[in-house]
Amino acid sequence: MTSSSSGSSALPPIQYFRITRHRRIAWWGSLAACLISLVGIGLSWLNPAIGAPLKPGLDFTGGTRIQLERACYPSCSGITVPQVAEQLESLKLPSEEGAAAPALRGAPVQVLDQGRSIELRLPILSAVQGTALIGQLATSLGPFKDGGTSVDTIGPTLGAQLLRSSLLSLLVSFAAIALYITFRYDKIFAFLAILCLAHDVLITTGLFAWLGLLLGIEVDSLFAVALITVAGYSVNDTVVVFDRIREQKESLGAFPFSDQVDVAVDATLTRSLYTSLTTLLPLLGILFFGGSSLFWFSVALTVGISVGSWSSIGVAPTLLPLLSGKGFVGSAQSDGAAPAGSA
Amino acid sequence: MARQQGLFALILALAIAAGAVLFSFPLQLGLDLRGGSQLTLQVLPAGAIKTVKREQLEAVKEVLDRRVNGLGVAESTLQTIGEDQLVLQLPGEQDPTRAAKVFGTTALLEFRAQKPGTEQEMQGLLRLKRQAQSVLDLSRRRTPADPAEPVAPDQPPAPAPSFPAEDLAKALRELGVAVPAGAGETEQIEALLDEVNKRVVALYEPALLSGKDLVSAGRQQQQTGTGWDVTLNFNRQGGEAFAKLTQAIAGSNRLLGIVLDGRSISEASVSQEFAAAGITGGAASITGNFTAEEARDLEVQLRGGSLPLPVKIIEVRTVGPLLGAENIRTSLVAALAGLALVAVFMVVVYRLPGAVAVVALSLYSLFNLASYALIPVTLTLPGIAGFILSIGMAVDANVLIFERVKEELRSGNTLIRSIDTGFSLAFSSILDGHVTGLISCIALFALGTGLVKGFAVTLGIGLLLSLFTALSCTRVLLRLMMSYPTLRRPSYFLPSHQLPSTAA
Repeated sequence: MTSSSSGSSALPPIQYFRITRHRRIAWWGSLAACLISLVGIGLSWLNPAIGAPLKPGLDFTGGTRIQLERACYPSCSGITVPQVAEQLESLKLPSEEGAAAPALRGAPVQVLDQGRSIELRLPILSAVQGTALIGQLATSLGPFKDGGTSVDTIGPTLGAQLLRSSLLSLLVSFAAIALYITFRYDKIFAFLAILCLAHDVLITTGLFAWLGLLLGIEVDSLFAVALITVAGYSVNDTVVVFDRIREQKESLGAFPFSDQVDVAVDATLTRSLYTSLTTLLPLLGILFFGGSSLFWFSVALTVGISVGSWSSIGVAPTLLPLLSGKGFVGSAQSDGAAPAGSA
Repeated sequence: MARQQGLFALILALAIAAGAVLFSFPLQLGLDLRGGSQLTLQVLPAGAIKTVKREQLEAVKEVLDRRVNGLGVAESTLQTIGEDQLVLQLPGEQDPTRAAKVFGTTALLEFRAQKPGTEQEMQGLLRLKRQAQSVLDLSRRRTPADPAEPVAPDQPPAPAPSFPAEDLAKALRELGVAVPAGAGETEQIEALLDEVNKRVVALYEPALLSGKDLVSAGRQQQQTGTGWDVTLNFNRQGGEAFAKLTQAIAGSNRLLGIVLDGRSISEASVSQEFAAAGITGGAASITGNFTAEEARDLEVQLRGGSLPLPVKIIEVRTVGPLLGAENIRTSLVAALAGLALVAVFMVVVYRLPGAVAVVALSLYSLFNLASYALIPVTLTLPGIAGFILSIGMAVDANVLIFERVKEELRSGNTLIRSIDTGFSLAFSSILDGHVTGLISCIALFALGTGLVKGFAVTLGIGLLLSLFTALSCTRVLLRLMMSYPTLRRPSYFLPSHQLPSTAA
């Protein structure tokens, strides 16, 4: 606050920094992140073991997932993955009408919590077969805790339907949001909001493509939910900056457009950071205490919301002068009100 | 100030009402939180019907509804989803096997007369069927970990039914059944039985009478033996058709076949005495040697009527109640921890208004939960995630307002004026943010499936309520506080070194 404003005609003091001066760093940073994400998605697609932009989970591929809690107190006799796999192979499941029981050889097995719980990923089993499988496993690996078992069977058509409906709702909400912003602001604002949104969604998707490649993390229907939430937040964040630019038009209309952008970003910066922080706090709550079922969901949201907050500060406002054809006049020349904070 | 107090009283009344609602209407918990089974059924087009339409889906649902009631699982619900799907929820049910069997079958019951001149072929098939069936029954009774089957000591054990391997292989070959390599004896016999039943059905004439003409179905224990029979009562038209059908084959060697979903479940001969008028009275029974449970399930299916279209079970989710309790515990801890962190943050950063916002946010959570109980919204795990996220949005509205108030204070405005300007300036961006959020929610709700819908509902309710609490609750509470001069100090809003020296 060292530089005092010299009357109503001067630009309001900049508290933190002028974002348009750092626009190249912002653009290159975002571009690099987007490229890395695209590479991850491409690699995942080319990977014969995955063959899709993201590693699809059970929700999308169909199959049966069985989770068993072993009833052992105080400690479980250790079991290993090969032991469980061996047990699986020796099982005999009843066949369904017209179809033999699926082979269980090589089904992925996970042993969690020091052997306390087992997770099995199997081909689609009927209810009868699932019950039979649990009953037979109980004799060798059990006893299992009554009420600690969960079985999910998802047919392949349902998975495809889920994928379709997730993509469709994402696209429809994109389009509806674009319409709303065009109506409230103008076309360039809408375009930038959607660009930012695509940026945020792309980077979040890219991260999970890499996670799928490197750690075998799969995406489920909750991931689709997370992406749509990220989209909503991203627009919300961007709109606040745009709202400020529009509001200032009357008082600062005479200044170069890039200066207006600088002032708007600077004035909303605290809010943008605090908002992201207060949203991230409950998310961190889910991340650390929410249990395994919501862990990757909150990872996706945490990353998406952080990226969203970045893009609403660094990407959308810096592109605005470029796209509205008003250029970066203000940044080339030095004007009276020198930035105090970070210059 | 009287207006502020009136509004405050209104908010207080709303809060008490919300508390009362929560107290008297318990929250509905989804199956992932309380344990139970969920089955998704896909209605398949068949015959002349190429695509499933609304009314056909409703017709299927009606039949399944009757089966649900017949099964008698407490609080079970059946809902239609989209164009051609149904979701059945069975709270507390941990073994969906039986439900899958009862709901997944069409239960089309037909009474068909045997074609003339096929007696010999039928005899051979039925012999095979009886042999296969008895071997299967025996092996089934043995497998469920019950080796100590009570055997009367003074009676010589009955010769165990068996199916010598070469006989079985020969029978399979003759019927042209291909068995996958390495299949066990039970599987081979099952394949044989399937083929036999198919061939038996082929020997019948088209159905003259179907389950449509049933008035009621029941079950009774056989007088001899331990099996159960299913009893049937026809309406007048059905009774006449049954009499005609039985009259036609009475005294001949032709059999009356009872066919369920294309499988012959019972074959009966009709004796000479009925040749004059057939079996009249409109009653019949199916002697299929059922177990008590099988008989009950069949009875439920027949009483509910057959499905107008076949269904396929495409999803089964079962969660044990222990896991459900664990899910509730962890998400509750997560929600409370997140809220506590947010509360600390707000008070530290925004001081007095921060504390007001914490009160407003607590009210917000209360209103949210009350609306879940009222609407009612079934809370699922993603639903709770949506709720926690909507808290983030609600906080954002407060942050936007308070940042504006701070700005106004810094530029030298009076406290009351700053508060009013802060609220009105923040309004448009709060509105835009909430509307875009709601747009996403609507898209998710309209196009999404099960879990996604639960998330959209709670987030959407949260957004609507947050518009209300941020713009009214926070404001009224803040204004009310400002009516007390001791609280009217800018330093309660902002560190004093940030205030311009001219401000009061």
